[in-house]
Amino acid sequence: MGESVVHALDGVDLTIKEGEFVSIAGASGSGKSTLMHILGCLDRPTSGVLEFQGQMVSAMSEKQLARTRNQHVGFVFQTFNLINRTTALDNVCVPLMYTRQSFSKATARKALKRVGLEQRATHKPSEMSGGECQRLAIARAIVNNPSLLLADEPTGNLDSRTSQQIIQTFHELHAGGITIVLVTHEMDIAVQTDRMINMRDGRVVEDVVVDDARRREVLTFTRDAQTRFARQRGLGTKESPSARLASGA
Amino acid sequence: MFHVRLVLAALRGLHQNLLRSMLATLGVIIGVGAVVAAVSVLEGAEREVLDRFESLGADQVIVFNGSQRRRHRVTQVSSLLPADAKLIERENEDLIVATAPQSQGFGQIKYRERNTVASVLGTTRAYAVINSYNVSKGRFITRQDVRGNSMVCVLGHRVAQDLLGALPAVGKSVRINGKTFIVVGVMEERGTLGFIEVDNQVIIPLTTAMGRMFGQRYLTWLVAQCVDAHRLPACVERVKRTLRASHRIRAGADDDFTVFTQEQIKQNFAQIAIIFAVVLYSIAGISIVVGAIGIMNIMLVSVTERTREIGVRIAVGARRFDILKQFLTEASIISLFGGGLGVVCGWAMANFLGKYTQVFDIYTPPMIILMALVMAAVVGIISGIYPAIRAARLDPVQALRFE
Repeated sequence: MGESVVHALDGVDLTIKEGEFVSIAGASGSGKSTLMHILGCLDRPTSGVLEFQGQMVSAMSEKQLARTRNQHVGFVFQTFNLINRTTALDNVCVPLMYTRQSFSKATARKALKRVGLEQRATHKPSEMSGGECQRLAIARAIVNNPSLLLADEPTGNLDSRTSQQIIQTFHELHAGGITIVLVTHEMDIAVQTDRMINMRDGRVVEDVVVDDARRREVLTFTRDAQTRFARQRGLGTKESPSARLASGA
Repeated sequence: MFHVRLVLAALRGLHQNLLRSMLATLGVIIGVGAVVAAVSVLEGAEREVLDRFESLGADQVIVFNGSQRRRHRVTQVSSLLPADAKLIERENEDLIVATAPQSQGFGQIKYRERNTVASVLGTTRAYAVINSYNVSKGRFITRQDVRGNSMVCVLGHRVAQDLLGALPAVGKSVRINGKTFIVVGVMEERGTLGFIEVDNQVIIPLTTAMGRMFGQRYLTWLVAQCVDAHRLPACVERVKRTLRASHRIRAGADDDFTVFTQEQIKQNFAQIAIIFAVVLYSIAGISIVVGAIGIMNIMLVSVTERTREIGVRIAVGARRFDILKQFLTEASIISLFGGGLGVVCGWAMANFLGKYTQVFDIYTPPMIILMALVMAAVVGIISGIYPAIRAARLDPVQALRFE
């Protein structure tokens, strides 16, 4: 009684090619995180199919799914999701533990070096800044050299300067050949990718290649909005420019 | 390699919440410690008691007053007379070699200003023969001593040491409960015979003990020596038949005496030991169950606290079985650590008791240590399985969103 079925995703049909840098943008509840979980083989769609590197994900066993996540997918989360009781190096080692092969910590150190954290290997996440924690989470995600990196609001908990550093790290990884799918509700972050998929109410409403004109337009609009926002702060406006952009204001 | 890393990760997890982990092990420490201590004490006691029974001799029949059937009130009825001993010997010459009637009490033994308290045994010369218990100096009680109600005594080794030290004891006058006795011999050092510490015993003629010393008409017990240990059942039957006839017990009526052999006493003791063991193991078992509940509780808290971590582990490639193994490993480590510490604590407690009570030696069988550790591991697995299954069944998406 009173229950209704809500589809987090509805009729989504898209292809992400190897080597792409894609952003999935949309307001809260638009279904972008659900889409990311499905793309990362963490969740299964109630209907429809997902093909990953030519294999039907729905036909995979639990063991195959685990191996796919371990070998081919890397996750980066908004809240980092690091294990606080262990060191940075041990955090990066977690995916290596499930590779079913012996491993050396040198692999983990290499991943830390790629994100510029080699000096922080023995530190615990509680001793690191937000930006460092996110870079550590990226190191953990790339330690097994995945072909796909999924980032769910990776800059959501960071200031704008640190956010840019993280985006820069993603660009470097992308240049190294990794396919990146970045979920965000911040348009100024989304336009820094090569392709932007906009979602609303579980549907894809826009799927465009981000060209320089569009990127400039959004970034200029964001900068202006930030200036206006700073002026209006004294008047009590609390809505952030990014949120207004995401809601289409 | 994966398993080593799993154990190291589990140890790190437990170390992070050291106090909580220690509290979780407490129940197992107490349970396993109780089992080890109880077994050590029981084993020590059993060995000591069985050693003492062994010294009774496998070819002896011991007859007590009263019937065992009358709700074990063995000492409530007095029925054994000195004449019964003679009768048993005379009527069963083919099976019974000798009988030693005994009347026992306690007395204060004095020599000049030195005195000691010792067990006083009235018996005949057969006592020394049956028990192969010989004098080291002088002579034992003779038939003439018994016939003549002589005021002579044979001192146990320690009594002689306590009263006379290095002085020659034979020929000296000692006072037993105020009555003067001449020492005619000193027994060899023997320790215990059955449950009686014979080194701290003074032996006097049976008639003197019953008449002049204790004023008793009935014996405390009598011992009959069978020709051969293999013919003991026949001996028992013949002793019973002789005594029933002598005591004029009608057919179907209960005996007014109880016949024991070394084997029966051992069996009776074994039954008592089982009762003690059941009680002690039950208490220890309850402690272990409480310990298991403690571990389960801690593990459930741990699963809830680490829900996000479980989600991350699944996201980076852990199978549900890996999560199950991780939490089972943690529970097993808590339990095995508790088990190890429990073994040490139980052993230390048993030895402390043994040292300070000095009643008997403590013996910890090596097998019980192994069993205790296996038991601890089983407790760990049983108490960890439910939290581990709960952890493994978590939906990774929900786990990653868990606040």
